[in-house]
Amino acid sequence: MTTRNIASVIAAGLLIGLALPTVQAQSPAPQDHAAAKPASASDPATPSRALLDSYCVRCHNQRLKTGGLVLDRTVNADDVSAAPDMWERVAKKVRSGAMPPAGLPRPDASAFTAWVSSLEGSLDHFAIANPNPGRPAPVHRLNRAEYANAVRDLLAIQIDGRSFLPADDSGYGFDNIGDVLSVSPGLLERYMLAASKVARLAIGDPTLRPGTTTYRSSPLALQDDRTSEQLPFGSRGGFAVPHVFPLDGEYVIKVSLARSLDGAQIKGVHTLDVRIDHALVKQFVVDAGDPKSKNIELRVPVKAGQRLLGVSFVGSIDSALPRDLRPAQPPPTAFAFQLYPIDPAVSSIDIVGPYDGKVSPDTASRKAIFACQPPPGSTSAATEKACATKIISTLARRAYRRPTTEADLKPLLTAYQVGRAERTFDEGIEWALEAILSSPKFLFRIERDPANVKPGTPYRVSDLELASRLSFFIWSSIPDETLLDLASRNKLSEPATLALQVKRMLADPKSKAIVDNFAGQWLWLRNLRTAAPNADLFPRFDDNLREAFVQETSLFVDSQIREDRPLIELLTANYTFLNERLAKHYGIPDVYGSHFRRVNYPDDRRAGLLGQGSVLTVTSYPNRTSPVIRGKWLLENLLGAPPPPPPPNVPALKENGEGGKPTTVRARLEQHRSNPVCASCHARMDPLGFGLENFDAIGQWRTEDAEAHTAIDASGVLQDGTKFSTPSEFRKALVARKADFVGSVTERLLTYALGRGLEYYDAPVVRELLRDAGAADYRWSAIIMGIVQSKPFQMRMLPAAAGANTADNNAPGKEVPATSSTRRSR
Amino acid sequence: MSIITKRSLSRRTMLRGLGATIALPLLDGMIPALTAATRTAAKPVQRLGCIYVPNGMEMRAWTPAAEGAGYGLSPILEPMKPFYDQTMVLTGLADKVAVPLPGEGIGDHARASSTWLTGVHVKKTEGPDIRAGISMDQIAAQTLGKHTQLASLELALDSVEVLGACDAGYSCAYANTISWRTPTTPLPMENDPRAVFERLFGASNSTDAATRLARIRQEKTILDVVTEEIGSLSRSLGSNDRQRLNEYLEAVRDVERRIQTAESQSNRELPVLDQPQGIPDSFEKHIQLMYDLLALAYQADLTRVGSFMISREVSSRSYPQIGVPDGHHAVSHHQNDPVKLEKLAKVNNYHVKQFTYFLDKLRNTPDGDGTLLDHSIFVYGSGISDGNIHFHLDLPMMLVGGGAGQFKGGRHVRYKNETPLANLYVSVLDKLGVPTEQFGDSTGKLEYLTDL
Repeated sequence: MTTRNIASVIAAGLLIGLALPTVQAQSPAPQDHAAAKPASASDPATPSRALLDSYCVRCHNQRLKTGGLVLDRTVNADDVSAAPDMWERVAKKVRSGAMPPAGLPRPDASAFTAWVSSLEGSLDHFAIANPNPGRPAPVHRLNRAEYANAVRDLLAIQIDGRSFLPADDSGYGFDNIGDVLSVSPGLLERYMLAASKVARLAIGDPTLRPGTTTYRSSPLALQDDRTSEQLPFGSRGGFAVPHVFPLDGEYVIKVSLARSLDGAQIKGVHTLDVRIDHALVKQFVVDAGDPKSKNIELRVPVKAGQRLLGVSFVGSIDSALPRDLRPAQPPPTAFAFQLYPIDPAVSSIDIVGPYDGKVSPDTASRKAIFACQPPPGSTSAATEKACATKIISTLARRAYRRPTTEADLKPLLTAYQVGRAERTFDEGIEWALEAILSSPKFLFRIERDPANVKPGTPYRVSDLELASRLSFFIWSSIPDETLLDLASRNKLSEPATLALQVKRMLADPKSKAIVDNFAGQWLWLRNLRTAAPNADLFPRFDDNLREAFVQETSLFVDSQIREDRPLIELLTANYTFLNERLAKHYGIPDVYGSHFRRVNYPDDRRAGLLGQGSVLTVTSYPNRTSPVIRGKWLLENLLGAPPPPPPPNVPALKENGEGGKPTTVRARLEQHRSNPVCASCHARMDPLGFGLENFDAIGQWRTEDAEAHTAIDASGVLQDGTKFSTPSEFRKALVARKADFVGSVTERLLTYALGRGLEYYDAPVVRELLRDAGAADYRWSAIIMGIVQSKPFQMRMLPAAAGANTADNNAPGKEVPATSSTRRSR
Repeated sequence: MSIITKRSLSRRTMLRGLGATIALPLLDGMIPALTAATRTAAKPVQRLGCIYVPNGMEMRAWTPAAEGAGYGLSPILEPMKPFYDQTMVLTGLADKVAVPLPGEGIGDHARASSTWLTGVHVKKTEGPDIRAGISMDQIAAQTLGKHTQLASLELALDSVEVLGACDAGYSCAYANTISWRTPTTPLPMENDPRAVFERLFGASNSTDAATRLARIRQEKTILDVVTEEIGSLSRSLGSNDRQRLNEYLEAVRDVERRIQTAESQSNRELPVLDQPQGIPDSFEKHIQLMYDLLALAYQADLTRVGSFMISREVSSRSYPQIGVPDGHHAVSHHQNDPVKLEKLAKVNNYHVKQFTYFLDKLRNTPDGDGTLLDHSIFVYGSGISDGNIHFHLDLPMMLVGGGAGQFKGGRHVRYKNETPLANLYVSVLDKLGVPTEQFGDSTGKLEYLTDL
């Protein structure tokens, strides 16, 4: 390939990259705007025009149309109204420093900043005059996490969504995007299957035949310590799981040990405890020399409901010692480990049952469901039906997230009656519950346009719709009774009430959903599940460490939100959450035991998210760090300036061992900067990653490159000229770009809150929100409250050109809750 | 995330008393497949399977040196030896629609998997406005699926949860599946064996007829409720807002059809089996379990069409068990380095070897006057040939199975360069009794499938 070819190919790559993800394909191409409003060459030479002429039109002209963008004199530089979408792109590119590209002349910073600010000012004015709150998907399917949480809140049982439903597709980095959550026959079958299983579990089906549920531990999880806060102090290994026992009855519990087939691989004599809800049920003695002692099985009566099943060994002296005083053993990733005798470990627990099962009247879920019981002995269909109606309407109100109507109840009561005719009253309720859980009214969040709404005119969503928007944002679940009650009286949207409710919701433990679902995806924590660091290079990476990484970052983000810290502390906080395993990994002394606790760092090496193993591992290759991935991750997720994708057919970097003596990753990346075409983007990306080079591919601190045996060089120069040479200096350089950081977090959180990708018309909203939140130091509550109070969160609009979007009958009548037609303005 | 993973919520009991319960892998070679073929041997039932492998192939080790009948197997294809007579290696086919349009830039991986079975240049978008084409397996399923509970079965091994792993500029939908029910409805591929099992056998307590019938009655009641609700909801929504509900309604119809078929076949005896316990720890156990389930679905005639994505494109799965601890995608960008080429060939060979595990099962399952394999057609290949440069022409493709005597195996055929891959699909559909004039970018039928 000639240089010329490379250049043109790369140019093409750059062009694509220019399209911001926030700008949608539906918006007309900028050229169209220019064509629609042919400006004369006699545009006055305003300062804007002069600036564009000097620094932009070299590429963005009619001939080259670089990035599909034309900024020459066919465009009026002082009127954003013709193409606000285009101008938002321009503002964003310039604001983030991505344009003009590295190596080309740029004006002095203050002039440029002043110009962008005035451009943004014009765009904000335009937005005030032409408000557009956007339109999230009107029919928005519950995703897997939301489904599981809704079941928890509706029926008081905890289900593991992952064993019921497939993973959801994601868009814009999140799996709660309405436009992306489609429905296929396969998926519907899974929802129906889930509905049936959940209904039977919750009610307790007396015809249930014995079944087996198996819980396994990972073979790469060491069991040389207390494994759970739910197991006794001084215990070792095993695990604790919440299990829903569907009926009062007898259950067989079988414990399988790792390596149980070959006695030589297990050592010693041990005591194994089996506990239900922390109470000791039975002790077994496991003797390495006695094969029979490895058959661990008991049959035990258990009361129905969710119980905590715990299986663990009584810890020995060894496991009570700090790790460095214990006898050494090979890591579980090593082949040698297989041959090395270890203390026994639990590999799986089977629960078989129920035998002689009887329905228990007082499980938490039955209490949640049976708002009444037909009087005992009564066989009157009428009394039964009255009670069924009460039960079903209570459930349907919560499940459908609004007051129910006759039309809602009719089909459910039919299901009840068919089920009742089949067998019992309970069976009838079970069928109705299954129908509720399969209903589109439960599975979809539906927002309707009121009858006489005009296209192009924003209007407020109903209080009930607002209640759902709130609860799915903060709890990833259905609204509770308080929200429903306020909403059905149209009180929720009163600003003071709303603020109070948001506060209450954030204080509720259910708000952990923001950590699990927002932070879990924003920071790529979910990718840790599949991270596979090379076992030869990182033998100590086992599942205990993987789990500890997730725990650390979850606890950290949770503490930041609960303590309502300023967002920037995500980068600067000088504390984290550690247990012994993780503290050892980080080289922090005096942390013992498996319990996670808050620890202040002795120095500022690891402050904030960027020192956490989770983030550092998911942005690395299995065998080495990748300053490119880390840089790209930082640009995309923390600085809101995603780099364009690389041009096609770029060769991978040469790995070590491919001829020549080992070199550092940094040295190999020099290729990026020696080639001007690569440099245009990598000059932005790579230095960000270099700043974290002191952390290896699993987040351990290092001062020497393990392969090249040279000192780690963590220095770099940001595009704006800021120099740094250590991770903490690098962090300071990022903190100096606070506006980019808080802007980026806010955009990600808004995307998550709305369940849709951001559009150009959301940019003024974000700017306004940040201006307001700035007064509160960008604290979490200010950002979250800002989102809740924002127009896109509270309003909706029928697109101007959607005249055809009409209902078949203009009187939606019973189907639509009264509130949406009796909107109250305020 | 937790170290402890819950693997099942089974209420299914094994059918005891009929002898030992058989745990998967369970295909009993002596149980004939439950197909019409066993009753009317005259017209053998056809089954279709499309198996996709990502990141291209080490072509030097894939393409056999000689052509025509009696060619010698290449290193990657060596495991196909026992099936030599029912295998055709097809060289020279091209997935031209995967080549970027001017200015479209990168995204070759997403284009490879999304065009491989659709033959349509897909729309480059990260948003919801995705558009590909109906995939070949789904066209087949429209006809073959009329007689079975499930029109088709879509399988994968990777989880779709990994973020940041889709190809730049392309929606994850293009990377997550090769099967498209309509140009805008990608079909999710299931990677959890337990979920596949439940799709095949439903939620009834047991596989016995009375229990299945009771469950069917309940499902019908629920569907009635749901159908009624969609109707009233639809009327209250604007026409543009109904799309998702229509999608849902279509899914309901599909489930209804499945239930009706199940009802009419409820007296049929199903193979006795145990429910799998979730995703196995090792790649090999996982892939074999998925192949077991696909074979079982064919055997029990629960579906006649399957698609299986061995990995998503850009998969960086490592294969330490065969001496390739590096990521698959990394070695596929081999830069002609002999060490990487050898590793890539090892991965390719390993995938083929797993495929033969499946073929072996099918060959040992009697079906009418032959075996399941005799009455099946499998398309195996990739949308990329040389992964190093993302080359979409000269693809590694093979056609396997008896195809009920409509193919002549034991040959390596070299086609004129740039012969559309879609031509193969037109011919395959034709042999399946689904005559298709044109498919994707096809220019006609593929020649030489029956004889030289």
